[in-house]
Amino acid sequence: MQTSELEQNRHSILPEPNHDELARQQFVRSFKEHLVARVHPGNRLAYEHRVKPAFVEENGREPDNRFEIRDVMVRDPHYRMFSALLRTSQEMMWSASQQPVQRELRELAEKAKDADRAGGSLRLDPDLEIPRYHKAVDIHCQPGGYHTEVTRDDVAPGAIYDRAVFIYAMGQMGPDNADMGDSAAAWIKENYPDFKPARILDMGCAVGHSTEPYAQTWPDAEVHGIDVAAPMLRYAHARAESLGAKVHFSQQNAERTDFEDASFDLVVSHILLHETSEKAIRRVIAECHRLLKPGGLMVHAETPPYKDLGPFDAFMLDWDTRNNNEPFWGRSHDIDYVELSGRAGFDPEKVFEVMAPSAYQIAQARRSKVFQGGDFGGGGLWFLYGAEKQAS
Amino acid sequence: MVENPKLKRKAKGARPYFFDDPAIDKLLAMLMGLAGEVSVLRDRLDTVERLAEQNKLFTRSEVENYQPDEDALRERAARRAVFLSEVTRIIEAELEGMQDEDDAPYTQALELVNREP
Ligand SMILES: C[S@@+](CC[C@H](N)C(=O)[O-])C[C@H]1O[C@@H](n2cnc3c(N)ncnc32)[C@H](O)[C@@H]1O
Repeated sequence: MQTSELEQNRHSILPEPNHDELARQQFVRSFKEHLVARVHPGNRLAYEHRVKPAFVEENGREPDNRFEIRDVMVRDPHYRMFSALLRTSQEMMWSASQQPVQRELRELAEKAKDADRAGGSLRLDPDLEIPRYHKAVDIHCQPGGYHTEVTRDDVAPGAIYDRAVFIYAMGQMGPDNADMGDSAAAWIKENYPDFKPARILDMGCAVGHSTEPYAQTWPDAEVHGIDVAAPMLRYAHARAESLGAKVHFSQQNAERTDFEDASFDLVVSHILLHETSEKAIRRVIAECHRLLKPGGLMVHAETPPYKDLGPFDAFMLDWDTRNNNEPFWGRSHDIDYVELSGRAGFDPEKVFEVMAPSAYQIAQARRSKVFQGGDFGGGGLWFLYGAEKQAS
Repeated sequence: MVENPKLKRKAKGARPYFFDDPAIDKLLAMLMGLAGEVSVLRDRLDTVERLAEQNKLFTRSEVENYQPDEDALRERAARRAVFLSEVTRIIEAELEGMQDEDDAPYTQALELVNREP
């Protein structure tokens, strides 16, 4: 297996870009790296040197929250330039990731159907409703979102997503885009050394980037992945089989699944919660509580809540809320996890919020070590929120 | 061959513009699109050079040390001049308009052709 952050590891269902398509994708990655290294830092400079002083001059005090900072930063010429470029990079990323998939659309769909068998499974539910929070806008600007299908047995949104995530994270999540799952699993293993989960559920698994790490970490466990989007799951299944990971994928809404009460030892998610809604997130956490066995563990990976960041950093991390079709991003970063868990049935005493180190240390030297829009994985740490269910 | 159904190319949701005049955002997007295509071309050239070397046609150091002769120099300079005037056409056009004094306000032409007989 390749261990470089320069290019993604191949698997049998990964689309094969031709020469120029690949060059176009690699350009977008370089463009994003340039933004992080050379353009992003200018925002803080502009803020400290001219935006904040002007605010102080006018108000006799510094701005004290991200909303006040936003009001003045949106008029700053550097912030405007940065934002226009970052938004453009996002559009170019989807376009460049889509090209080979458009070209291979039917082949990929056919290939996914006869994936090698690692023993995993795929269960789709054509009647499942796509939640409203996924139909209002196409999340993070992926045209058509996760769920749109244009052909029989479509896997296109999954194939596009697999490639785009690698470009989006600029390789900072490793050649298999697995860093969130790897890091969370490593953290669980280290902090619960005697914990041997027999049944694991990954909610909002997308193409399974974070799901495989659990199958690898606990090879004897039965691992399930659920998602609302059929094309993501078809692709996830083919990918997992190609990687030799035995995972059972099913099309279900994490707000209410068809699994039995108390049937999982470990329920996890990775960057799912911020893509739901105020109402849905409560239902998802309550569902985790229902699904866990007494003594079981729930762990959700996200970017850090705003309360843990200064107001300027919070403002910068909030870029996606307005500019990258992530309507619940901002609100979800202000959530009171203790209250949320308590209302879902967890003992508030058993709730934890930690920063877990990235398992992909190779990228560490090149990271910005900042949590900011457009620099996914650059922080070098993952925020984990979770709780143990009381042993009855 | 049946053509593949078309994937959606635009994401649902109104696009934010950051400058007071959205034309600036659009120009930047075009500029980056152009930069991307230049980069694609450069990568392709790199591939050609590496393949040439691999297949013993010519080496990259031959490319590096290539000395254009008089003819080549003249042809290249001419091509660059055309390239530059194509890219900066809008500026040249404005200058030409000033020189020929043919930039009277467009409303004059509108009035002229629309005036009642
Ligand atoms: C950002 S992706 C998750 C990435 C993935 N967990 C990973 O680590 O690679 C969000 C996914 O959650 C799915 N999703 C959103 N809301 C959901 C819900 N209520 N139930 C199940 N899946 C959901 C989306 O379809 C999408 O595939």
